Amino acid sequence: MGMYGKIQHILSRACDHTIPHKKRLHTILSLVFVFLLSINARALSAGHKYTIYFYNPETNINNFASLKKEFDFYLSRFGGYQFQPFSERELFEKLITNKKDGIFIISSWHYKKLKERIPIEPIMVAITKNKSTCRRVFSTTRVISDISLLGGMNVASASSEDFTKNILVQMFGENKGNIAASIKILSVPKDIDALMSVGFGMADAAVTTDNSLTKLAGINRKLHDKLKQLLISDETLLPIVAIPKPLDENHLKLAKIVKDMETVAEGKNKLNMLGFDGWKTLNESEKEYLEKE
Amino acid sequence: MNTNKNNQINKYPTLSATLLNQSKKRIFPAIFAILFIVLTCSARTLFSETAENVLIINSDLSIKNYSLAQTGFKSIIPNPKGEINLGSKWKDTSEIEKRIREINPAIIYCIGIKAYLFARELKNDATLVFSSIINWRRLTLDENTYGISSELLPNVQLTMYHYLFPRTSKIGILYSKEYNEEWMNLAREDAEDIGLRLVGVPIGKKTNITSALKKLLNNVDAIWLTSDPMVLSKTDSVRDIFRQCDAADIPVFTYSEAFIDAGATLVISADIPTIGKQAARLALDLLSQKKRNEKVNTPAGSHISINLKKVQKSNLLLNTEALDSVNQIIQ
Repeated sequence: MGMYGKIQHILSRACDHTIPHKKRLHTILSLVFVFLLSINARALSAGHKYTIYFYNPETNINNFASLKKEFDFYLSRFGGYQFQPFSERELFEKLITNKKDGIFIISSWHYKKLKERIPIEPIMVAITKNKSTCRRVFSTTRVISDISLLGGMNVASASSEDFTKNILVQMFGENKGNIAASIKILSVPKDIDALMSVGFGMADAAVTTDNSLTKLAGINRKLHDKLKQLLISDETLLPIVAIPKPLDENHLKLAKIVKDMETVAEGKNKLNMLGFDGWKTLNESEKEYLEKE
Repeated sequence: MNTNKNNQINKYPTLSATLLNQSKKRIFPAIFAILFIVLTCSARTLFSETAENVLIINSDLSIKNYSLAQTGFKSIIPNPKGEINLGSKWKDTSEIEKRIREINPAIIYCIGIKAYLFARELKNDATLVFSSIINWRRLTLDENTYGISSELLPNVQLTMYHYLFPRTSKIGILYSKEYNEEWMNLAREDAEDIGLRLVGVPIGKKTNITSALKKLLNNVDAIWLTSDPMVLSKTDSVRDIFRQCDAADIPVFTYSEAFIDAGATLVISADIPTIGKQAARLALDLLSQKKRNEKVNTPAGSHISINLKKVQKSNLLLNTEALDSVNQIIQ
């Protein structure tokens, strides 16, 4: 009798109503136990992989297949590590709630929301052009002096709608929340798309980082000069690396691998895919910023 | 005696007691059934109140790009009044037409040319919004027709070329005067604005593309293959363009993923989910009677694929800082 035949036999016995009820229950429970055991054994035999969990609502990164492939390939040389990017916030949060088998690359904005619910500790912050912070800029092609005239605008953004609206409320002022709420966000894949959308008339305005505007100045000066920077947000920290508590040796090992990526060209290219040049250890003021409400 | 009688009653329940007992057993399923019906009806009412008066007609949902456009659209308008997939198999169109009449949408979002032509034949009062149609300019647009084109502006593509390959300044292009002379003049001006030089070679019906390209290859850093109908008229000549460019180690920048296997170094195309989102925003604007300046908008998002093997072979300088803008890396 093959394996499937055996299972069928056991199941037919379990469902046989001539067998007393208690005995049937035992058979079913035994089956469930064997099934769970086999799953566990398979998981153990596959080997446990420490994972970099990535989710960043500040960028509309949608090259997940490439990201995973490139990072997994890079990490494979260090042992059983892998990279897992997420596009859905809910899914990411649900999954990491009880995860202790990896480290997280998340936005500082998201960390502030997560820290209340999940025991995690921030350890590093990303850097771009030697800076660990950026500002968001609201750009249009017209000079508008009254914020109320921005209501109902189509605004292109490469960040998630949640994040963009949050930034808009901060830029407009708390008492102009209704104007921020009336803004229609057009999610585009990248900051440069958002800027070009405004410049070429596909959107009324764009919310992007100041870094992206600087880049645009170097690529297309005419387009850059066409854009008026109406509002600028407060400085925010770039994405961070956080570790679930309690920390263990594997977490620190993986964090070191991530930190060292900037020292080799191949690793740096992978970081560039996420939009950073490297990492730095958080200083006291940065830690304070992250713990502030 | 009485006790005995009671015992008898307890042993053999009366008809009324049996009915009471049975009705107790039935009352819960009945309450559930009523609740279920009430909830279903109220959910339907709620749905019809929140559903936008929009119908989606998809040429074929099994085609990835058409499906992505619909997903993008539904991320903005999650509850359209109806969704129809024409599909690749034959369908009774009279049934579909009947359904559309019943829905009576204010706006029909047509994904792909088949859906657009189908909706146009319906002769109802609905406003049409189209997307995922190559070369929309060949269509005759009615007054109540709007859309999102599938082609990125030349300026957007040139800006991205410059961003990814800052040292590639002379770009060659084959174009037909008949179809693309005006486009070429605009693209030339756009290129100059960002410090690039477009070297164009016009071709006609009798032009030998192989020899036209040969001259061009000696004089440029890259070839930009556009959707010019005359340049792409023959499969052999397209194959020859890639073969010649490969032999000369000149990269080909182009607009469609379909050319990746043929040997394109860089493909910049419109991001399909963004097109769907734009179409939804356009539909909402039209529903709220918001005035539109343009009937057909250009795509706001780009999708970039890059072949790193080809980059190395052509000895191109890639701006690695721009890698966060690349969607697909081919090694």
